[in-house]
Amino acid sequence: MSAATTPTPTPAGVSPLGKVVLALLAVVLAGALAFFLLWVTGVGPLAVDWIIETGDANIEILRFIAAATGVLLFTVPAAFVIIYMELKLIAQMNLRVGPDRTGPWGSLASLMAGLKVLSKEDFTPRGVDVPVYTLAPAVVFLASVMTLLVIPFAPGMAGYYMELGLLYFFAASGIGVVGLMMAGWSSFNKYSLLGGIRAAAAVISYELPLILGTFGVVLLAGTLNLGQIVENQAGWMWNWYAFQQPLALIIFFIAATAEAGRTPFDYTEADSELVAGFATEYSGMRFGFFFFAEYVNVFILSALTVTLFLGGYHTGVDIDPILGFLGVTTPVELGNIDPGSLGPWLLAIPFLVPPILVLAVSGLIWMVKSEWGIIKSLVVGFVLTNLLVGAAVSFWAIFSFEALLGLLVFFGKSFGLVALFVLMRATYPRVRIDQMANFAWKWLMPAALLNIFVTAGAIIIVREYFS
Amino acid sequence: MTTPREQVRSLDDPEVMVQTPGTIYDTIPPLTPRTEREAEFYDVGDGEMLVNLGPQHPSTHGVLRVVLKIDGEKIVDLDPVMGYLHRGVEKICEHGDWHHAISNTDPLEYAASMFSESLPVLSAERLLELEVPRRAEYIRVLAWELNRISSHALFIGWLALDLGGITPILYGFGERDEIVEMLASLTGQKLLFNYMRIGGVNGDLNHDFLSRLGDWMSRAGARINDQATLMNENEIFVNRTKGLGVVSREMALQYGMSGPPLRATGVPYDVRRAHPYSVYPELEFDIPVRSDGDSYARYLLHVDEIKQSLRIIDQVLHQMPDGPVMAKLPRLLRVPPGRAFAALESPRGQYAVYAVSDGSDQPFRFRIHDPSFFNLQAVVPLTRGHLLADIMAIMASLDPIMGGIDK
Repeated sequence: MSAATTPTPTPAGVSPLGKVVLALLAVVLAGALAFFLLWVTGVGPLAVDWIIETGDANIEILRFIAAATGVLLFTVPAAFVIIYMELKLIAQMNLRVGPDRTGPWGSLASLMAGLKVLSKEDFTPRGVDVPVYTLAPAVVFLASVMTLLVIPFAPGMAGYYMELGLLYFFAASGIGVVGLMMAGWSSFNKYSLLGGIRAAAAVISYELPLILGTFGVVLLAGTLNLGQIVENQAGWMWNWYAFQQPLALIIFFIAATAEAGRTPFDYTEADSELVAGFATEYSGMRFGFFFFAEYVNVFILSALTVTLFLGGYHTGVDIDPILGFLGVTTPVELGNIDPGSLGPWLLAIPFLVPPILVLAVSGLIWMVKSEWGIIKSLVVGFVLTNLLVGAAVSFWAIFSFEALLGLLVFFGKSFGLVALFVLMRATYPRVRIDQMANFAWKWLMPAALLNIFVTAGAIIIVREYFS
Repeated sequence: MTTPREQVRSLDDPEVMVQTPGTIYDTIPPLTPRTEREAEFYDVGDGEMLVNLGPQHPSTHGVLRVVLKIDGEKIVDLDPVMGYLHRGVEKICEHGDWHHAISNTDPLEYAASMFSESLPVLSAERLLELEVPRRAEYIRVLAWELNRISSHALFIGWLALDLGGITPILYGFGERDEIVEMLASLTGQKLLFNYMRIGGVNGDLNHDFLSRLGDWMSRAGARINDQATLMNENEIFVNRTKGLGVVSREMALQYGMSGPPLRATGVPYDVRRAHPYSVYPELEFDIPVRSDGDSYARYLLHVDEIKQSLRIIDQVLHQMPDGPVMAKLPRLLRVPPGRAFAALESPRGQYAVYAVSDGSDQPFRFRIHDPSFFNLQAVVPLTRGHLLADIMAIMASLDPIMGGIDK
């Protein structure tokens, strides 16, 4: 106690930071030397040429790998947004505030929850079947993520335009239930086992109406290529298959709720009956994968509903006749408007549009965030407007206007459907498993079959007598 | 081929010796059954499996443990195991004086403790043949009915939560929160009020309580309707509860059930009318009765009772007389020797006590009748043969409170 804390003498040699710098320096030097040697001997250019040629020859594989990586990366923010949406929307229904601590309006709550799950211990209980137990979350997560590959987000923006896209979608998403059963069986827990078996029962009951529900659309479109199905729905809103196949849309949406394991069909992890169902024994990021997969599944099924029935990335408004009516004679390529044709109004763009945009954005902020003053709202609005305009302009430059519009429309529709899923969760109790099987076999299946027969008959009649 | 090894203790149950080093895959040799019923229950047939529901399970409402024998999803048999919350309240009451019994019986019915804490009060008053001031009686009725509403609102939410709906529980808790805050400004506590006193109540009405009460009364009816509409008009909820767990009139009487489960079978038995106490004879209210006896009828009955309680509160507030809230009593209370039976209608049924006094300041015997215990007994015959999800709907609709059951 009496001995004061004497500063410990630093050991001779490099400091901890110095060690890192030295190691990095060595790596950089070695790299530079190798680079120099490669270019002097002429091996380097040859290798680069070879890589480029191989890439050119196998562009499809490269494209697939890039798309798969992009899709995998995309799921993370999508799941975070959906989780936040669910927290906030259900809170509104429940007379609560919901998350409001981390980030503006609590928008980082789901991110923080993800980080928490990531940092928790990945516990393996005694008695589990270790390889199966470890693989199950990966199977569930990948099965739901890989289905995103074939969904066209915007014109020219699909992971992979597959001719049998719809078939691939159902094949890939069908693997998910294998993962659930793996988790249920390997966990060595009776509640998990019941959850896994319930998942299998649900798939047997609901995959059939889900797939049969899409047959009407497939018959009308004449293709399984999702990109082509979306293109068929271009133009006015009544070209959407939702208006030609309303029964199929209802069947598909109900079956999709069951397929995603959402309330009122969330019996696989019924928290008041089976504690947490198949995920009872999971913790840490393994549980996180199940959790993520559930929300990714919600998004994917909404996206597929939009793709098949609600016109995909099309706005539902045919712009050409309107332009024609307004006197714009040539079909305008919105990406290539000549600003010079505006004449003196060109001056309005730099002088009028930015202030109006800033005022609009900051007015919105001021209305929502009532405790902020006008000045603060204006400053934040200015910064936000700049960011938004910068992002929009660069996106326009990269992808052209259609891609941006398509992306916005597609995500708007998809998240609208996700909101519907969330509201259903806040409203309904759980359906009992025998009621759900009854409903699937006695109502949805016959309705789906009827839909197929009526559609096929109508197609034949139209072809024979009206064309 | 494995060579037989020496006997070692199983890792799961140190009492059990197993041949190989014990793993959790080892079957534990069954204990010798003590009763015929145990022998029948633990004889697990082909394809059947025993599942422990509780004591730490989200939907057993406390620390009830139910051993289920299931065949797939179907419940073949079940065996409720009680006593995880046993504290010997009756014995504790016999060791403190009559005033201590009030705070000791408080946590019995922890969702509505205004009722269980009234047991020693009512029984001692009967033994003392005491005249309680009328204002105190009216305040008691006010507190009881408020607490009944808070308990019923919670019941409705719990029932929906056990069926998988997440919104009604928050409506119920919103209602309960306001009432509990209100009672906290009256009594100083939110959960275990300790407000009733032998000969009156602890403290008169205050401004904070009355302003909160008036504020809440102005919108209580609409809020209860909101919560009920969310469930009554919900196809899934109605399908899950209608025709489920049907208690017949005979069975309810046989099992000694009381409260909403009894009234849902068509028996209009309510202690407030059958054996009137306090100022209930002066108040105007109906005893809601349903005839179906299923979970849905029990739920609807709770909604009806909330409306009747609102009616009672309205009358109490209009008829509240002026005067003292405490009778004049000696500080050291010696209750004359004798026996007294006092009963009152709690949100879960007839809460009663049979008290014996030997003339000292302590009760000689304090025997508590808890309605949850009798209502919960019905869960065994009601659930047999149903699906796993139904046990939650049935148990939640019987509304047991484990504090009173385990005592």
